[in-house]
Amino acid sequence: MSRIVWLDQLGKEHVVLVGGKNASLGELMRAGIPVPPGFALTTHAYQEFVTASGLQGKINQILNDMDQKDPASMEKASLEIRALMEGAPISMEVEDDIGEAYRRLSRMCQVPALPVAVRSSATAEDLSDASFAGQQDTFLWIRGMDDLLLHVKRCWSSLFSARAIGYRVRMGFSHEGVSISVGIQKMVNSWNAGVMFTLDPATGDLSRIVIDANWGFGESVVSGECTPDQFVVDKVSMQIISRTISRKHCYFTTDPETQSVIKVPIPEERQENQCMLDEDVVNLAQIGKAVEAHYGRPMDIEWAIDKDLMAPGNVLILQSRPETVWSQRKTGPLLGKKSGLDLLMERAMKPFRVGD
Amino acid sequence: MARTGFPRPSEMEYPPELQGWEEMYPPYYLFSPERAQWEDRQFWYHDKIHAPDPMYPWDLIFHEAWQISLSQYNTRVFCIPPAQGVAQRMVGCYMFICAVEPPPPELIQKKAEFFQKRVFYVFEHFDELYQEWLKKFRALGDSLEELSIPKELPGFEPDEVVFPAPRGYFTSFEIMDAYDRLVNAVIKGWQYHFEYLNLSYLGYLMFADTCRKLFPGISESTIGKLVAGAVVTMYRPEEELCKLARLASTMPSVKAVLGNDDPPAAKLQALSKTMEGREWLRHLEEVKRPWFYASCGSGWFHYEGSWINRMEVPFSYLRSYVERLDRGERIERYLEEIEKERERMAEEYRKLIPNEDDRKAFEDAYRTCRTIYRYAEDHLFWVEHWFHTIVFEKMWQLADLLKRYGMLEEADDLFLFNRFEVPMIIEDMVTAYALGEGVPARAAFWKQKASKRRAILKAARSWSPPPALGTVPEEIAEPFTVMLWGVTSEKVDEWLKAGTVSPEEVTEVKGFASSAGTVEGKARVIKLLEEITSIEPGEILVCPTTNPSWAPVFTKIKAVVTDIGGLTSHAAIVCREYGLPAVTGVGIATGVIKTGDLIRVNGDKGVVTLLERA
Repeated sequence: MSRIVWLDQLGKEHVVLVGGKNASLGELMRAGIPVPPGFALTTHAYQEFVTASGLQGKINQILNDMDQKDPASMEKASLEIRALMEGAPISMEVEDDIGEAYRRLSRMCQVPALPVAVRSSATAEDLSDASFAGQQDTFLWIRGMDDLLLHVKRCWSSLFSARAIGYRVRMGFSHEGVSISVGIQKMVNSWNAGVMFTLDPATGDLSRIVIDANWGFGESVVSGECTPDQFVVDKVSMQIISRTISRKHCYFTTDPETQSVIKVPIPEERQENQCMLDEDVVNLAQIGKAVEAHYGRPMDIEWAIDKDLMAPGNVLILQSRPETVWSQRKTGPLLGKKSGLDLLMERAMKPFRVGD
Repeated sequence: MARTGFPRPSEMEYPPELQGWEEMYPPYYLFSPERAQWEDRQFWYHDKIHAPDPMYPWDLIFHEAWQISLSQYNTRVFCIPPAQGVAQRMVGCYMFICAVEPPPPELIQKKAEFFQKRVFYVFEHFDELYQEWLKKFRALGDSLEELSIPKELPGFEPDEVVFPAPRGYFTSFEIMDAYDRLVNAVIKGWQYHFEYLNLSYLGYLMFADTCRKLFPGISESTIGKLVAGAVVTMYRPEEELCKLARLASTMPSVKAVLGNDDPPAAKLQALSKTMEGREWLRHLEEVKRPWFYASCGSGWFHYEGSWINRMEVPFSYLRSYVERLDRGERIERYLEEIEKERERMAEEYRKLIPNEDDRKAFEDAYRTCRTIYRYAEDHLFWVEHWFHTIVFEKMWQLADLLKRYGMLEEADDLFLFNRFEVPMIIEDMVTAYALGEGVPARAAFWKQKASKRRAILKAARSWSPPPALGTVPEEIAEPFTVMLWGVTSEKVDEWLKAGTVSPEEVTEVKGFASSAGTVEGKARVIKLLEEITSIEPGEILVCPTTNPSWAPVFTKIKAVVTDIGGLTSHAAIVCREYGLPAVTGVGIATGVIKTGDLIRVNGDKGVVTLLERA
């Protein structure tokens, strides 16, 4: 039962072992999509942790005592469980495995005590029938073993955030049926980052790729903290069809002093500058197209452009999941069984409104 | 959404310096009290695409011809159900047009039956029908070319028209007859011109609709790219030049002549002196007809000229082609790559359609549109370029004759008379000639008229008519009005705005988003082909229209803005091939933008912004 699996060894068949997020990163790497290197701490490692320290019993106890109808009670239960978990020790074996993998990753990237992103990946997350997206925590810019171990525990405990508990209660999922894996990846030193849809989320138009971007980390875009620049790329001609440059008042970056993520205000005169180069937009859209082609369906993708790397290898995919809104709509035919001549007749009969 | 704000035709007033303009054009081209009720109800707008400048009366002939022809295909022949014709009126020397209000509803149904029967037949048999058309049209042009205009009024008719038996008609009749035939050929040629054009446009609109239903965000320039063929007759002149340039680059003596600064006549003289030169000239002679019958402009105006009578134009291109070949550059268009790219795009769009019925419908719509759209691309060379070159050639011969016998001050003055007046000038001249020695014609009368009209045209150039007149309709069903003139509420609003600002105050103009991309740069406004040599690398070309005779300039420039032409105009197609942004069919670009202005061309939105005046 391995506790550690490198991302490039993973694929979509490993969801149970490493959760949806990590499995899909592995799947992307397999398809030749550029993804920051890293490894996954499997659900076995989590199970080992909660059983070895006798945590599971205590957790169940707290959950049983909780009043499912009272938000305050759930909040309290969550705080108790999370404190309990974050205070519990990780076994030597698990710690050694993490340490070895972390050192190997640091060597690979030629950075001592490599800054990493530590992400939760729940094992039911991103399945189309239950969206746990965004319910578990992600920690950025984590450096050194001690910090890494602490945040691994924080990821694990995020399985019991008040929100996650509440969601399971609402959906009638058992608290024991879910498990969690943690992904540890090179921290992208991102110049730009954001979100990309390989269809038009506004209209469902499959011939477009829509990119939301800001400077710094993608958090400012994902959290809605800041109105991003938006680029629309034609999926077929690969040309930028439209660009909406917004007033971006802040971005997230790393404070070199504290090595932590901070929110930085953007000076007035720069707020309305286009944050991203056109060629990066097109490059990114090409990768989006490849991701979609691999999965055979429209995708929702988080991405970043790494300032340490050279174009075109600087565009990295952080995660991707199937787009859910339009994909779940049952759309009938838009034209139906018609010949070119039928369509010609339709066109000929229909005047144009002056206003179309 | 009825808009008000345009003057009624019946209320139009003209500045005093245009006084007398009405007599230059046929009477039914004028707004008139007895038709005011109908005229006020229609929506008239200035046809800036075909007639941006004040109209020489004779040049109106093509418009007279198309008004009848375009309209009858909509109303009486192919019967596009809700569409009627496109009517024309002159407004102080400027040509205005309107898509006539729709017919009564019961007639729409009746027309639908004819449409279905006739149009479906055309689409199903288009390939052979097009071959027929080409045969017939070329025969018409050839017969016009054979028409001989006497060079002089002989002192005495020669023996050969008297013996063995008198011919029965002589020079006086020959001139009158030649002109009548010329006019009939023009009218007939334009009847042919629209044989399949309305249907091509309809096919395009149908495919554009289909694309937009499936992909709401698809851009107009992408649709244009999917439809446009790479092998288009309009490009043949340029392709033949490339071949001649390649041949020349293997012949040192020919290369030397093509590279010198001599005028065309001296070049031809020099070439005929060497073996190599004669060999090259043989090739030139082979392709000159028809491929040098390419207008240096749009083909609509008598003053534009064509390669065949302005040989300095093809020679200047040959020179630059040979230089480029020397530098190891490729001069030909990448036809195969363009075709491949188009097929790749069509295939990708097809694959993006999730529903099988939709996919099949898209395929068939695409096939249907592509089948007939060739016509829209190919007729242009044969009609507006080749045929018009012949028409003007004959007209200039006639003008020279009339000038020679003192009827005109300048040959160009002939075009100041409309097509109905020219027979009078001819008749006046041949009558005096027939009457014998020392008999005067009314030459002074015609000369006076010509100089008065020249003054009116000059005054009209500095007068701007309102952009539109009459009542804005709620719907338009006429394919040309939609596709060619792009009449949309946006455009109408712009016209309303344009009526209130002077050219200097304009900061933004709109046209078709013909080729994607955005660039900023210095504008170079070129109104006539001969100014083309002044273009500096990296400038933005602003011109009335481009055609293949402008092709070599596209490697020098950053973007193109034209007054005339839609998504499938020459400028649009070439810019898409070269990856240059283009905004076409702006209508007022050459009037508003001045050389040296800093402008931004946004080919995604079809907007040109004036950033800084020179």
